[in-house]
Amino acid sequence: MTGVMALEEGGRVDFTRLRQERRRALFDVMDAAGLEVLALGRAANVRYAAGARQLWRTGAHPFAPLAVVIRATEKVHLLSSWDEGVPSEIGREDLYGLFWDPAHLIAGLREIPGLVQAHRVGTDSLTPFFGRVLRDLVPGIELVDAAPLLARARAHKSADEIAAIEVATSLAEAGLAAMEEALRPGITERALLGAYLEAVAGLGAPTPPSESVVFATPRQGPVRFRYLAGTRTIGQGELVVLAPGALYAGYEGGVARTRTAGGAPSPQARALADRCHRAIETLLGACRAGNVGADLYRAWESTGEPPPEIALANGVGIGTEPPLVGFGRGADARLNEGDVLSVQAWVSEEGTGGFLLRELVRIGEDDPELLTRSARGERNERSERWTP
Amino acid sequence: MAEDWAGEATIGGLAIPSEPDMVRLRADRQAKIQAQLESQKIDALVLLGSGNVVYATGADSPGEDSGRAGLFRPVAIVVRGESQPHLYTAYWDGVPAELAADHVHGPLFPDLDDGITEFAAALHRHVGLGAVIGVDEQTHPMLRALDGFEWTDASNVLGTAKIIKTADEISAIRAAQRLTELAMESARAALRPGLRQTDLSAIFLRRIFELGATANAIDPIWQVMAPTRAEGPWTIHGDLAFPTSTTDRILREGDVIWVDAGICHQGYASDYGRTWLTSAHPSPTDRQATGFQRWRAVVDAARDILKPGVSALELGQAAIAANDGVRPWLEHFYLAHGIGTDSAEMPLIGTDLGDAFDASLIMSPGMVLVFEPVIWDDGFAGYRSEDVVAVTDTGWVQLSGYRYDPFGVAS
Repeated sequence: MTGVMALEEGGRVDFTRLRQERRRALFDVMDAAGLEVLALGRAANVRYAAGARQLWRTGAHPFAPLAVVIRATEKVHLLSSWDEGVPSEIGREDLYGLFWDPAHLIAGLREIPGLVQAHRVGTDSLTPFFGRVLRDLVPGIELVDAAPLLARARAHKSADEIAAIEVATSLAEAGLAAMEEALRPGITERALLGAYLEAVAGLGAPTPPSESVVFATPRQGPVRFRYLAGTRTIGQGELVVLAPGALYAGYEGGVARTRTAGGAPSPQARALADRCHRAIETLLGACRAGNVGADLYRAWESTGEPPPEIALANGVGIGTEPPLVGFGRGADARLNEGDVLSVQAWVSEEGTGGFLLRELVRIGEDDPELLTRSARGERNERSERWTP
Repeated sequence: MAEDWAGEATIGGLAIPSEPDMVRLRADRQAKIQAQLESQKIDALVLLGSGNVVYATGADSPGEDSGRAGLFRPVAIVVRGESQPHLYTAYWDGVPAELAADHVHGPLFPDLDDGITEFAAALHRHVGLGAVIGVDEQTHPMLRALDGFEWTDASNVLGTAKIIKTADEISAIRAAQRLTELAMESARAALRPGLRQTDLSAIFLRRIFELGATANAIDPIWQVMAPTRAEGPWTIHGDLAFPTSTTDRILREGDVIWVDAGICHQGYASDYGRTWLTSAHPSPTDRQATGFQRWRAVVDAARDILKPGVSALELGQAAIAANDGVRPWLEHFYLAHGIGTDSAEMPLIGTDLGDAFDASLIMSPGMVLVFEPVIWDDGFAGYRSEDVVAVTDTGWVQLSGYRYDPFGVAS
C-alpha cells in the first residue's frame, strides 16, 4: 500500500490520527517532565508538534521559536503568516507572523495565552538572544532541555508513522532504480544525483534527506567514504555507492546499494561484496530490543573489519533522529522495540574500491523487521537475490 | 572562455572577475571576520549554522534535510589573531585545500551530551577561560558543558562582515544565479497544462546537477496565484500568502505561477523569481503585460538612483512613487534583500524594521540586492520577478539575467 495518492476508502496513512497521536505523545512527555510550555526551533520538532506543511530548506538553521506548545490549553502556536498547509486543529488565532524586527516577534509571542504565566519552559536549543528574550517574556522562567523529551516522543512510532516511513522507503528505492538505470561509465556523480532527484520529485517527493547519494570508489590507491557528489566521470568497472533517501510527509526512508559501472563485478569486487554482506548481517543480528549501541560496536568488531569510518546506525523518523551509533557515540543508547534504525556497513579494499549496504529496520524482540527491499546483488546477475 | 559580464564594474577599485577565485575569496572573508573580532573585542566565534560555517570556513557539506544537517553539522571555531579558522567536520571531502592540517578536526556533535567533553576540550585548546565568544546557537549539551566563557551573539560580527561582498563573492553569486537560470529555462520550456508542480521540480533539480551545481537550497516554489487576494489563502495581515510550498497540484491552462527557487553553488545562494503562465503557447494578456511593465518600472526607479551613499529608505520611496504611491511589496517581506551564503540576509529594504532603520542603511560598494517587488492587480493576479544586482563603486551591475518569458526581454 505504499503509494502517495489518496484512496477513496481512506486507506494508507491516516494523517489526522497521526497528528493526534503525536500531540498526545508530546503532552505525555511534557507532563512527565512537568513542562508547561515548549518553544521549538528545530524543523523536525516543529513538524512533529504542528504537522504543518511548511517551506523546506536545506541545512541547519540557528534556533528561533518557530512553534510554541502550551500544555494548559493543549494548543500548538505556529509561526506562519497564512493558514495554507496548516492543519485545522491549529486555528488562525494560533498563528503568529514572520517579522524582521525582533520586537515585533516578541510582541507576537507575548500574546500567546499561557506563555508569560508559565514557569517551566522547554526549548530544543537556544541562542544568547532568544535566551534573553524568553527570560524577559517569562518572569522567573526555568529553562529546560526539551530535546531528549522530543527524542523520546518521536522514537516511539505509531502504525501511521511506520506506514509513512514505508512510503518514503519505496520512494527511495525508486530513486535507487533511477540511478541504477542511469549508471554507466562516463556519467558524472552529479548527473546521477540529478537522475535520483528527478525520479523522487517526479513521484511527488522532491525534498531529499540528503544530497549525499552517490560516489564512485577508486580502483587504485586509498579508498575513503565520500560525501559530496563530484563532477569527475565514472570509469568502467568502478564500484559505485548509490545511497538514496526520500521524505514523505516529513518521514524518511532510505537504502544503499553498491553497483558496478558497466558490466559485471570483478572477482575482487565480489569478494568485497561478500565481506559487506556478512558485516551488515552481523550488525542486523545485533539490532534487537534491549541491546545497546555497544552491542553494535561489538558486532562490528567481531567481523574483523577495521574500525568503522562512518556511523553504524542512526534513528530514522522525521528525518534523522537519535540514537547515533558511530563516531564513538551512542555506546549506551538503548534499542527499544518499535524503533526504526538505518543500519549500514561500509568496507573497502585498496585496488578494488568500496562497498556500502544500508538497510532500514524496525527493532523487534528477535530479528529486526527489514523495511528495505532492493536487491543486494547486481542487476545483471542471474539472481536478483543476493547469494554470497 | 570566460564571459565578460561585469564590464568595467569595480568594488573598492578592484575589477569583478568573470569567475570567482575561491581561495582568495575565502582568505578575504577570513580577514573581514578577523577585523570585526578585533574591533568588537571578541576573542573567538563558535558557529553551528550551515550558512555561517560556510562563510567562516568555506567548508562544503552535502545539501541535507535539517535533522541530518543538525546532527552531523560541521562546526567552525574562529580564533582572533589566527589567519585560518578551525573546522570540525565529518565531511572531509568538503574541506578547502588550503586549510592547514592542524586546523581540520573530526566532528563534534554539539546536539549530543555523549562526547560533548570533546567540544569543551577543543574550545579550551583554542581560547582561555573567561574569553568572550560569539556564538550563533547554543544547544543544551553546549550550555551544560562549555562553561567558563562569556557568550554573546555572533550576529554582530558576521552581519558586519557579510553585508559587504568582495568582487569574488559577487562573481560567485552570479555563477550560482547563472546556473539556476539555465536550469529554469528547461523547466519553463516544459511548462504546459497537465504537468504537476513537482514535475517542474523534477526537471529543475535534475538540470541544476547536470549543470554542475553543488547543492539545492529550498524546495522550488511554483505557486499558482488566485486571481484575487480573497480567493488566495487566508493571511494574518490581509496581504498575499507567498511563498507557499509545492505539492503534486496539477497545473491548468492559464494558471499564473510565481516561481521562486534558489540553489547553493560553491557556498553561495542564488535567487530566481519569475512569473510564468501555464499554456502550451503562453502569451500575456494586455493587462498582464501592463503588470510586468509596472514591475519593470518599479525596479528601474530603484536602480536608477542606486549607487553608494543612497539610503534604503530612498530606494523604497522611489519604488513606491513608481507604483503611484502604493507600496509594491508584500507585508511580511521587503522591496529587496541581500544574498550571500544565506538566501536572505542584510541589507533588507522596506521591512517592519521601519523607516528609521532604512534611513540609516546606506548603500555601499559590495552590497548585493535582490529586488522582488510585487505588482498586484486584484481580479487578475499579479506580476512578481526578482532582479539581482550588486552595488559597485559608481552604480550597480546586474547579476541576474534579462529574460522574463513569456513577458519578454528587458535590460
